[in-house]
Amino acid sequence: MAYANKVVGIDAAMRRVASGMRLMIGEFVGAGEPAKCIEWLLASRVGELTVIANTPGMRGGFLKARLFEQGQIAEFIGTHIGTTGESTESYLAGKVRVAEFFPMGTWAEKVRAGAMGLGGVLVPVGVGILDQPGLFPALAAAKPKVSLDGREYFVEAALEADVAIIKGWRADTFGNVEFRNTGRQNQRDLAMAGRYTIVEVNEIVPVGSIEPSRVDCPGVFVDAVVQGYSLAEQNDLYRQHWVKLGRLAPAA
Amino acid sequence: MLQLNPKEIIARRCARELACGQVVNLGLGIPTLTANYLSEGAGVIFHSENGVFGFGGRPSEFNADSDLTNAGCEPITLKPGAAIMDLATSLGAMRKGYIDVTILGALEVDAAGNLANWATRRDGRWWPGIGGAMDLCHGTPTVIAALLHTDKHGRSKIRQRCELPLTGSGCVKVIVTERALFDVRPHGLVLRELFPGLSVADVKAVTEAEFRVSPGLSEMKLGIDLGIAPVVPL
Repeated sequence: MAYANKVVGIDAAMRRVASGMRLMIGEFVGAGEPAKCIEWLLASRVGELTVIANTPGMRGGFLKARLFEQGQIAEFIGTHIGTTGESTESYLAGKVRVAEFFPMGTWAEKVRAGAMGLGGVLVPVGVGILDQPGLFPALAAAKPKVSLDGREYFVEAALEADVAIIKGWRADTFGNVEFRNTGRQNQRDLAMAGRYTIVEVNEIVPVGSIEPSRVDCPGVFVDAVVQGYSLAEQNDLYRQHWVKLGRLAPAA
Repeated sequence: MLQLNPKEIIARRCARELACGQVVNLGLGIPTLTANYLSEGAGVIFHSENGVFGFGGRPSEFNADSDLTNAGCEPITLKPGAAIMDLATSLGAMRKGYIDVTILGALEVDAAGNLANWATRRDGRWWPGIGGAMDLCHGTPTVIAALLHTDKHGRSKIRQRCELPLTGSGCVKVIVTERALFDVRPHGLVLRELFPGLSVADVKAVTEAEFRVSPGLSEMKLGIDLGIAPVVPL
C-alpha cells in the first residue's frame, strides 16, 4: 500500500518527545491547540523543552499555558509572553528564557523558511527599533542586517524543530489534513518544519475521503496521526472556557 | 447631560474615522470597542491577524465555533464575502500594506508619530511582547493611535518623545484621546478637535508634546448630542 497507515495512539506518537527537545506547537492565543497531545505532555512531565509557538496560549489555566506553570519550558521562541498569567509569572521569575521577541510576521516567516528548506529570510520590520543596543541583552551578538537596493533588512534564520505537533480538523490515515476556518493558522508550515510531525485531529477518515484540492497539509509532511477530541467535545471545551473568561455570554 | 466614559468617547470618535470599503484591523483594548459604534451598513471589512478578512460580531453560546476566533481568541462570526487565509499570508498582507487603516492602543505616542505599545519594564525585563502590532505599524498607510490622554498617575501619554521601546517609528497619522484629536504632520502635532467643554489651555495643561492649533479647530465629532456647550467659542 503506497499510503501507509500512520494512525497511532497518543502515547506511541508522543513518546518521541524527550526532555531537552525543540518542540513546535500549533496555536493562536490558545485557538487551534492540539489538546490531547498537550495533556500528554502535562502528565508526562518531560521538561527543559524549547517551545516554538506563536504565543503562550489562552489565560485561565488553558492547556498549553499549564506547561509554563509546571516548569516544563526552559526557552520560548515566539511573539509574546504575556497572553497568559502562567507564562508571565514564569518569565518574570527568570524560569523561562526568551532571548528576543519577534514581530508575528517575522516569526511566521522564520517557521516558513524552516518549512521550505531555506536558510532564513530578509525582513524589514523593526529595523531601527529591535536593533537598539541593549534591548535584548540575552542575544549573543547584534542582530545581523543586510542592505539591498538602499533598504535595510534583518537576516532572520530559519526555525526547525525535533518534533512538531499540529492540530487539524480531519485527516485521512495517511496524514492528509484538512483545517477548519481560522484553525488553519500556520499549522502546515509547522508540520513541514518538524523532523517528526504529529497531527491531532477531530476525525480520522479513510484515504481518498478528502478531495485532493481540499488537502491543506499533505500527508507527506506528517509522520503520525492521532485521534483528538471530537469537534463537539472541542466546541464544549472552548465554549466553557470562553464563558468562564466572559468572552461568550452563557445561553439563558 | 449625557455621560460617556473615556474609553467610549475614544471608540466613538475612532469609528467616525472609518469609511465604507476600507480594510481595517482593530488592536486589542479600546480599539476593539470601535466596532460597537459602527452601523450595520458601515461597510468596513475587518481583518484579524490570525487569518480572516470580513468577520462580524460575537455568536451566541451554542453557535460559538472553536475554530472561528479573532486575534484575542474570542469567538467571532463571518460575514458574507469573508475570506480565511493562513498566518504567513495574513501577516504578509499587514507588512505589504493591504490593510488600509489600523487603530492601535498605545502606552505612549509622540510628536514625531512614534508609537510604543509592546513593552513595559517589569522585574528588569521587557514585557509582554510584540504580537502583530509591529507588522501593522510597518505596513499600514493609516495608523490611528487610540489611548487615554494621561496614565493613572496623571502623566501625559502624548509625549514630546517616546521613552519606551517603539512599536513603529513615524507611523501614527491620527491620535484620538478622550480629550482631543491630533493630526501628526511632518512638523509636529496639530490639534484638530477638542472634547466639548474643554479649552485649548485645558488640553495644553495635560499634554507633554508641543502642538499647534488647526485653523479649523472644532468640537469632537462623536455623532451624538452630549448637551454640553463649549466653554470657548470655536
